[in-house]
Amino acid sequence: MRPSPLRLALPLAVAALVTSGCAQGTADSSSGADTSYDAGATLSGDLTVMGFGATDEIGSVRLAEAKKALGDKVTVKTVEGDLDIQQFLTSVAAGDPPEIVYADRDQIGTFASRGAIIPLDDCIDGENIDTSVFRKPALDQVTFDDKIYGIPEFNVVQIIQANADLLDKAGLTVEDVNGHDWDAVSAANKKLAVTENGKLKVIGFDSKLPEFLPLWVHANGGRLISEDGRTAQLDSPEVVQALEWAVSIYDDQGGFSTVKAFRDSTDFFGEGNQFATDSLGAMPMEQWYVNVLNDVTPDVNMAFDTVRDKQGEPIAFASGSAWAIPKGSKNPEAACRFARAMTATDSWVKAAEKRVSLREKDGGIFTGVLTGNVEADEKIRAMIEPGDDETWNDAIEATYEANDHTFALPANPAGSEFQTAWQDGVNRVLNGQQSPQEAMAQAQKEAQKALDEAWAEWDG
Amino acid sequence: MTSTDTPAPRVPTLAVAPAAPVEEPRGRPPAPARPKLARIVIWALLAVLTVAFVYPFVWLVSASFKPRSEVFDNKLIPDHFTFDNYLSIWHEAPMGLWLMNSVFVTVLATVTVTISSACVAWGFAHFRFKGRDALFGVVLATMMIPGAVTMIPVYLIWDSLGMTGTLTPLWAGNLFGSAFYIFLLRQFFLGLPRELFEAAKLDGANNWQMFTKIALPLTKPALVVTALFEFQASWTDLMKPLIYLRDSDTFTVPRGLKTLLDQFGFGGEWHWELIVTASVITTLPMIVIFFLGQRQFIDGIATTGNKG
Amino acid sequence: MSTARASETRAAWLFISPWVLGFLVFTLYPLIYTGYLSLTDYDVINDPSFVGLDNYHQLVQDPKVRLALTNTFIFAVLSVPTQLVLSFLLALLLNRAGRASGFFRTAFFLPKMTPAVAIGVLLLLLFNGQNGLVNTFLGWFGINGPAWTTDPNWIKPGLVMMSLWTVGASVVILLAALRSVPQELYDASRIDGAGFWRQTRHITIPMVSSAIFFIVIIDTIAAFQSFTEAYTAYFGSGNSTYSNDAALFYAIYLFQQAFRFLHMGYASAMSMLLFVIIMAVTAIQIRVSRGSVYYESEQA
Repeated sequence: MRPSPLRLALPLAVAALVTSGCAQGTADSSSGADTSYDAGATLSGDLTVMGFGATDEIGSVRLAEAKKALGDKVTVKTVEGDLDIQQFLTSVAAGDPPEIVYADRDQIGTFASRGAIIPLDDCIDGENIDTSVFRKPALDQVTFDDKIYGIPEFNVVQIIQANADLLDKAGLTVEDVNGHDWDAVSAANKKLAVTENGKLKVIGFDSKLPEFLPLWVHANGGRLISEDGRTAQLDSPEVVQALEWAVSIYDDQGGFSTVKAFRDSTDFFGEGNQFATDSLGAMPMEQWYVNVLNDVTPDVNMAFDTVRDKQGEPIAFASGSAWAIPKGSKNPEAACRFARAMTATDSWVKAAEKRVSLREKDGGIFTGVLTGNVEADEKIRAMIEPGDDETWNDAIEATYEANDHTFALPANPAGSEFQTAWQDGVNRVLNGQQSPQEAMAQAQKEAQKALDEAWAEWDG
Repeated sequence: MTSTDTPAPRVPTLAVAPAAPVEEPRGRPPAPARPKLARIVIWALLAVLTVAFVYPFVWLVSASFKPRSEVFDNKLIPDHFTFDNYLSIWHEAPMGLWLMNSVFVTVLATVTVTISSACVAWGFAHFRFKGRDALFGVVLATMMIPGAVTMIPVYLIWDSLGMTGTLTPLWAGNLFGSAFYIFLLRQFFLGLPRELFEAAKLDGANNWQMFTKIALPLTKPALVVTALFEFQASWTDLMKPLIYLRDSDTFTVPRGLKTLLDQFGFGGEWHWELIVTASVITTLPMIVIFFLGQRQFIDGIATTGNKG
Repeated sequence: MSTARASETRAAWLFISPWVLGFLVFTLYPLIYTGYLSLTDYDVINDPSFVGLDNYHQLVQDPKVRLALTNTFIFAVLSVPTQLVLSFLLALLLNRAGRASGFFRTAFFLPKMTPAVAIGVLLLLLFNGQNGLVNTFLGWFGINGPAWTTDPNWIKPGLVMMSLWTVGASVVILLAALRSVPQELYDASRIDGAGFWRQTRHITIPMVSSAIFFIVIIDTIAAFQSFTEAYTAYFGSGNSTYSNDAALFYAIYLFQQAFRFLHMGYASAMSMLLFVIIMAVTAIQIRVSRGSVYYESEQA
């Protein structure tokens, strides 16, 4: 093979060009001196919003409020669909990020530690955002190394949702399944679960692994990770014990795979849901599911309570979203004002009013909105009219009580690896590969290694 | 750079200088009469296997017309026949847009790879030059390189060209041909009698004319095979859209389907009926294309011959 | 003559130039660049920083790499032979099906058309331990089917069975090979009194050995890179936190490292390892097959 040098020159030149293109040009960060946040300033330019879809009135009303706050000179464009981490980070790397992103709060630490999003202190000062109104666990989730990186919104909490008919038949009450006494829950689970000819017909209690492990750990007085987000505590006795118990709930019903296969094949969002078909005794579940039940099967006989820790105190594992400004955002001023307006008490209240009127039209009940903003929560709660049906009143009551007793995992720079580590561990137990003790010891090793590396990079 | 999740079937030979394929008459010469019993056994086996192969499909289509609570009842005829799943998919997702994107990408990928591979294959088949066989060996070796190996740098190339987030990276790599199709088409070109070209040369045809006027028309079946393979590979690809696409307006159908799975997967609880329906919608166009092209498709492979 | 030769060479290079360009930009350069990245710490946002062989050291010690490799090897060892046997059987049957073979081969080819994402979803539905089609079917024979989608021992068999569903392409190749076996060989051997099995062993298999060999190579490469079906079924649902490490294939772990944890440098080292492994396996296959693959030696 003897191609003439000239002929090779072109492809090589292309390759060389490409190579130089791959030398990462980091976009100039706009968090510098040229950015001045001022609540009174008139803003202009484009604002691309990534990861937020105004799919309902709570979203669309606030979006309209935010556009109002930005004025006519700012063009807002929303890119619908969940935030894809890989896409977002790549756009930052390529110097062409969206002006603002909407992310899960548990991703904020990772983004912050990689320098993908900017600290918001100047933004908070300039736009006069009152951070004292945000719920503390929510704010903690978006605070990394003592700086706030996200403006939190929404709170998702779990409450115990139970089938009152099945409980009655078994001579139980919702107190037996609210978690304050794990032995009672185990006993209730055995009473409620029904297996016929080797097939599971009724799930007694669903401890909702892997996702709700943190809930059981905290109820047990433990933690998955230290307050400062540096030390994993996955192999601590509280964690292992919580996992052992939550898994035993499945083992008492023929094992996780039986429960999962049955659960996977039910009509979760429809009239054939597990409560309507009497195929589930009780489970902890996010509050939004109350709305689903109330919509599709309003006559189902339910019982609600908060999840309780071992002292009988309400407890819930909070999650939610947050607004963050990417490094290299071309319009941080507009992004900041947008975030302020979306999370302002007035915007929340207007959105809630709209929902109330819509619910009245549909003849449904209004179950409230958990905003992550204490002030807004109080005002919206005052708008709720108790209905004739005690069942749904109990649900609302439990939801708001849970909302006052939330905890969250602190921000850390290895968020997705930490999460993968403990979830993989739980899955190994569920799949029958390891004992809880072994699985958590391994998870601890994996998580700590990831944390150490990520922190070393950040501190370095 | 073709997006093959599973490598499409290739011409079964590894010799660098393969034999000219022989056009054979369709079908075998009538086989000598076999005992009836053997024939019955063969047919019975075929029937059973056919059911096994087709049934999951039928199941899928039937499930897509069931309400969610009946998806798992394994009945072939739905108890409650419903179009709701199809309606809600069109409402929940920009399915029409995704289909358009898929068609756009697939057509471009197919056309570009067919043309460029034919060009290169012709270069390897028709001309004699120094180092040809060694170079063709390199072409074959590139088929061994897993896509995963070059995934990251290729991604950075598109990134530096500012093409991420657009549909371009999903097809533009095909402008440079693909080793597998080059190999396939070269087989066909080698099978064309050289006299044809000698005669054309005397008539004053240049290389380009010989390629477009003689070689391409005579190898139409192979071009159809190439196009169908690429259509299938490109239509069903998930990896590239997963990496390159940013905005749901640019999603292809498989990537959109993935989004639906994410969206309806609250805490691991799935909207089975919608997933099933989305799968049917994704698969249907392929079946139509296959029915249209299957004759050339299958016979095209059959006539490439397998003598190495 | 030499000018004619030179002009022919020029024309040839002109025709193959698209491939040469593509090879340099999209194959050779990425390969070299991946090699470079594998020696760095790189997270997409910040510049790569050189760390020498650090990633390779970690790679050797990473239990997940071992797990993913083991999974992938097991899958390849299970799926490649079963796919081959099934497709050979189908091809033999089709070869004798007479006039209806067009209908049958269409039926066998259809699943190949199903998007891999849909196949991943189908797998979860068909193999559901409680109500899945497969276990319902087994139930008719009084067999209590396993938990295909959760029991680590049954995950890979499930994936292998699902992969059998898309052997249509190999069937077609083998069928083409079978059809090009000269009829005289069979006629001659029948005179010698050879039955169907002996003919298959002594004529059919040797005559189509190059096709068989080819399918084995291609399927092996595919098995080492399998991603979509397992990813969709066991890792791909955004909000589901359930996963099963019995389905953690090498390509899936590589994808997680690159695009979830943003360890691009590490993922590049993983890529290089996979490349070397596939090359080695293919080389071994070629070596082993040398004595047993029959080529008609012909000159083009």
